[in-house]
Amino acid sequence: MNRKEVQKNEATEGRRNSDLLRRRSKGGKGEIRQKAARMTGIVLVYAFLIVVCFSCLFPFVWMALSSLKTAKEVTNALTIVIFPQTPQWHNYVTVFEKINIWRGLLNTMTVEVATIPLCVFASGLSAFAFSKMELKHRNTHLMAQLSALMIPYACVVLPIYKAYYQLGLTNTLLPLILPSLFGGVSMMFFFVQFQRAIPNAIFEAAKVDGAGYFSQYVRIMIPMMWPAIAAQVIFMFIANWNDYFAPSLYLTTEDSMTLQLMLKSLSDSQVDLPITFAGAVIACVPLYIIYIVFQRYFIEGMAISGVKG
Amino acid sequence: MTEMTREGNNAGTVNCKPVKPKRKRKMSTLKRREHWMALLFISIKYFGLIVFTLIPLLVALLYSFTNYIGTFETEPFFTRIGALWCGFDNYKKLFSDSTYGTMFLNAVKNNLIFTLSVPIGIFIGLVIAVMLSKEEVIRGSRIFRLLIYVPVVSSAVAMNIIWRYIFDNQYGIINQTFHLQTQWLTDNNWIKVAIVFKSAWGSIGRTMILCLAALTNVGKDYYEAAELDGASEIVKFFKISVPLISPTIFYLFTTGFISNLEAYTDAQVFAEGLPGAQTVVYYIWNYGIQRSRYGIASAASFVLTIAIMLITMLQFKLQNKWVYSD
Repeated sequence: MNRKEVQKNEATEGRRNSDLLRRRSKGGKGEIRQKAARMTGIVLVYAFLIVVCFSCLFPFVWMALSSLKTAKEVTNALTIVIFPQTPQWHNYVTVFEKINIWRGLLNTMTVEVATIPLCVFASGLSAFAFSKMELKHRNTHLMAQLSALMIPYACVVLPIYKAYYQLGLTNTLLPLILPSLFGGVSMMFFFVQFQRAIPNAIFEAAKVDGAGYFSQYVRIMIPMMWPAIAAQVIFMFIANWNDYFAPSLYLTTEDSMTLQLMLKSLSDSQVDLPITFAGAVIACVPLYIIYIVFQRYFIEGMAISGVKG
Repeated sequence: MTEMTREGNNAGTVNCKPVKPKRKRKMSTLKRREHWMALLFISIKYFGLIVFTLIPLLVALLYSFTNYIGTFETEPFFTRIGALWCGFDNYKKLFSDSTYGTMFLNAVKNNLIFTLSVPIGIFIGLVIAVMLSKEEVIRGSRIFRLLIYVPVVSSAVAMNIIWRYIFDNQYGIINQTFHLQTQWLTDNNWIKVAIVFKSAWGSIGRTMILCLAALTNVGKDYYEAAELDGASEIVKFFKISVPLISPTIFYLFTTGFISNLEAYTDAQVFAEGLPGAQTVVYYIWNYGIQRSRYGIASAASFVLTIAIMLITMLQFKLQNKWVYSD
C-alpha cells in the first residue's frame, strides 16, 4: 500500500521536480524562511535528544549523588538536596562492613566463568552443525530448538526447584551453572546467522586436507567467529550479572548469594539509604566499564540479533 | 572425492546425474556420516533442552492436575500421583476461587496494564532512531546512542532501588519537585503508572538500536522522492520509516509483550509485593516457592505459557502476512 504510494511518487517525480525548481527560483525570502524553519527543527531535535539522554542517565546520577549524602540529606522532606554538603565517602566503606561484597562478587564471577566458555562452545558447535554440515530435516531440528524459546522459565521452575532441593543443591551455585553448560538457544541462532555468511570453500579445503568436522569447528570456525563470540560473551556476562529471578529462588544463605541478591538484602535491611545506594553504585559500575570498553560489540551484536531475529 | 560430495550437496541432484551409481553410493555413506556427526553435535543442545525444559515442563503439567504441596512432601511425587489427582480443579480455581482466583485475575490484570509500556517505549525509541538516522544533519549520533542505551545495561535490582527512592511518597524527587502528594509506592493504581513509566524508560534503548539498524537498510531514494514531493518530516516518519521497518517494530512488539508477561523484578524489588503490582510470575513464586502450593502455581504457569505460545505463533503467522518486507 505505502510502497505503491512511494512508487507513484517516484513516477511523478519529474513533474514535481520542475515544480520544485519553480518554487526555488522564487528564491529570496521563502528560502530564508525555509532555512530558519529547518534550523529551529534541528535545534528542537537536539533539545529532545538531550532531554532523553538526561532522563536515561538521571537515575544513575541521582544514585551516585545520593550515595555521598548523609542519611539526613537523603530523607529531607522539605527541600531537595541535590549535591551533598560534604561528600560522605565513608558510605562506601560502610557497605563493605554491612555485606560481604567480595563474596557476592566472587559468587557472581564464579557463575560467569563457569558458564560462558562452555555455553559459547556448545552453542557454536550446534550452530556449526546447522550452518555448515549436511543435516537431514534441518528445519525440523531448528524449529524444535526454537520452540524452547516459548517456554518461560517460570513454567519449568517448580519441578527444577524441587529437584535441586531434593538433591541438596540449593544454596550452591550449581542451579545457576548447570543449565547453561549445554548452550543457549538464542545464542545458537545468533551463531547460525553469523556462520552462514562464512564461505563454504574454506571448509571444503580443510576437508580435502583430511580435517574432521570437530577440528574444522575448533581450528577454523572458532577463529573466524570472534566478533560474534565477543558480542555473545558480553550479552551473557550482563545477563548473568543482572540475573535476579533464578538466584533469588535457589540462594538464601549469605555465603552463596550473588551480588544482586546481596544488594536486595542490603536494601531490605534497616541500613541508611545512602549506604544502600553506595552498594548499588558498586553493583553497576563494573557493567558500565565493560559497556564503554566494548560498546562496538554491543551495538553491532544487538543490531544483528534483532534484524534477523 | 570429498570435493565432489560438497558439490553434490550444494547443487542438488542436477550435478549428480552424470556420476556412476557406484560412486553415488559411496557419496551417500559420506553424507550419512556427516549427518550423524551433525546429529552428535546438536545432541548436546538437545540434552540440555530435554533435561532442563522438556522434562520439567511435563512434570509441571502433571503438578497442575494435583494438589501437590511440594516442599513438605517427603515421598516421591510419582508414587502418590493417584491420591493427589484433582483433575481440572486448579484451573477452575484460578478463574473462580475467592482467594486463588481473585489474586490470579488481579495479577493478569496488572500484567495487561503493564504492557501499556510496550507501545510507549517503542514509539519514543522509534522517534529517537529516526532522528539519529539522519547522520548528515544530526551530529554526535554515536554519543547519543551510547548514552540512551545505558538503562539497558544497568543492573535491574540497583535501578529498582533508585527508582523506589525517586518515586518515594515523602522524599522522592518527583513528588518534591512538582509538589505532589501522590502515593506512588503504596497506592495500587499509582504504582502501575510508575511501573509503566519505568518499563518504558528501560525499553527505549533496545528499540532505538534495533530500529536504527533497520533504518540503515532502508534505501535513501524513498526519502529523496518524498522530499521532492515536499513531504514534511512527520509524513515521512509515518509513510516511509514506519511501514518500511514494520517487521522490526512488530518483532519489538511481540518480544516486548512476552518480556512484560514474564516480569518479576518490578513486583518483587520495586513494589515489594504490593498487590497492585503483582504479576503472574510473582503469583507463581508466591504460591509455588513461598507457600509450596505446587498445583495451583503450576496451573498458573501453564496459563502463562499458553499465552506466550499464542503470541509467538501469532508473530510467526502474521510476520509474513501484513507486515511489509522486501
